[in-house]
Amino acid sequence: MAEDKWTGCVKSLKGVILDMCGVLYDSGEGGGVPIDGSVEAVKRLKASDLQLRFCTNETQATREKFVAKLRRMGFDISVNEVFSPAPAAVAILKERGLRPHLLVHDDVIPEFEGVDKTNPNCVVIGDAAENFSYQNLNDAFRLLIGLEKPVLFSLGRGRYYKETDGLKLDVGVFMKALEYACDIEAEVVGKPAPMFFQSVLTDIGIQPHEALMIGDDLVNDVGGAQQCGMKGLQVRTGKYRPSDERHPTVSADGYVKNLAAAVDAILKHRGQ
Amino acid sequence: MASRCALKAVLIDLSGTLHIEDAAVHGAQEALTRLRKAPVAVKFVTNTTKECKRTLLERLHRLNFDIKEQEIFTSLTAARNLVEQKAVRPLLLLEDSALEDFSGIETSDPNAVVIGLAPDHFNYQMLNKAFRLVLDGAPLIAIHKARYYKRKDGLALGPGPFVTGLEYATDTQASVVGKPEKTFFLEALRDLKCSPEEAVMIGDDARDDVGGAQNTGMRGILVKTGKYRAGDEGKINPQPYLTCESFPQAVDHILQHLVQSA
Repeated sequence: MAEDKWTGCVKSLKGVILDMCGVLYDSGEGGGVPIDGSVEAVKRLKASDLQLRFCTNETQATREKFVAKLRRMGFDISVNEVFSPAPAAVAILKERGLRPHLLVHDDVIPEFEGVDKTNPNCVVIGDAAENFSYQNLNDAFRLLIGLEKPVLFSLGRGRYYKETDGLKLDVGVFMKALEYACDIEAEVVGKPAPMFFQSVLTDIGIQPHEALMIGDDLVNDVGGAQQCGMKGLQVRTGKYRPSDERHPTVSADGYVKNLAAAVDAILKHRGQ
Repeated sequence: MASRCALKAVLIDLSGTLHIEDAAVHGAQEALTRLRKAPVAVKFVTNTTKECKRTLLERLHRLNFDIKEQEIFTSLTAARNLVEQKAVRPLLLLEDSALEDFSGIETSDPNAVVIGLAPDHFNYQMLNKAFRLVLDGAPLIAIHKARYYKRKDGLALGPGPFVTGLEYATDTQASVVGKPEKTFFLEALRDLKCSPEEAVMIGDDARDDVGGAQNTGMRGILVKTGKYRAGDEGKINPQPYLTCESFPQAVDHILQHLVQSA
């Protein structure tokens, strides 16, 4: 049985990192709906001896608003347990003295409040959804092509995500478009960048082999975590597609029905 | 000379080779008339995603070029041919000005995507629609993959970035139908009943016109008009069969060296 392949690592685990959209809830109109059993699964993990963090490439809201939404759905989550790309990008911009032109969702702009955006010398692209118009992409392109050394930051590199009314293009698609147009390579902030996962592990204070990542995105959650030395589990919810299990380059350490099933197996094998 | 095949056909690029915007290249009309007296077929080939054949033809006629509609082969025609060959119903991500070249094609309940340059349609909703179709197995047909082009108000994104984005989203490769693809040149030659070795291509784009044609087995002549920049001839390997000042000199060479006088 497929479960056996990954449960071998469970006893030595010290921490679990959960992706959010597609694992905890399905997004869509009105904020989205929790996935069956996920609210309870988070509670059980928190009650266990495992450390728990949340790691999302969500860039359509500030962390505060995002966490508030999840709390309304019934999840026991606080802001300091959540890692998202926008705050990480702000830290990098400040460290390198860069002034960004933002092509992001209106609701995430407050995260960049303290950053100097005059006379921009780089572009930050996030999941801008409806803001991905030809005009806005062209503005970002012109700024980049006019720079002596174009710098493009992408908040994640996902291909698509699932909302209640269907699959939607994610930031990675528009990152690729700008990369091709300017013949450059973007710097990814967020999953699957190893730096991003590492910052979560550092926060918990554990080694990669002591951590398990659970996500619905094979390449960015599972593949990214594995590259970092962690184990990666894929849930068959959210954007999961059966063809993921035959992916040419990324193979999860295990596949589970949903988060609830994963937590059942983890706690059972730890004798809890 | 690479080949001693008798020349049967001449393919000629339009913008940058016969005319630059609304001005003809000096002496180009007269050179075309001379070329037509030789025993070779002539065809005009262009990468266009916005202008239908009729618009192209009207401009050429205004500039006094003796050209017939059936002699023009564009990337839109190539896309239409592919759509017909695959018997698919395309979602057309094209400017309204290009749609005329697809008249009569069934587009309801689409099961394919044809993507050109369509700033008016490149919004999130439409791109999602195209993405979902391709993810469900619809073929993605790209008119061409240019990175950007020059507009009066500055540089602007071409279709290439959007094609590349959709390829990434769906983990598929688009079928690119325009220059410099081999299939484009072969399609253009098809009804002329000649092999690539019996044809020559004249254009101002080293990579898309000359490089593409030479990769297909044709001879390529680069003209130093239009988008030509000094040193372009060195940017492709093998180098152009010939580089000359402008279209009339290219015709002189063809008449003197490649065809037997009638």
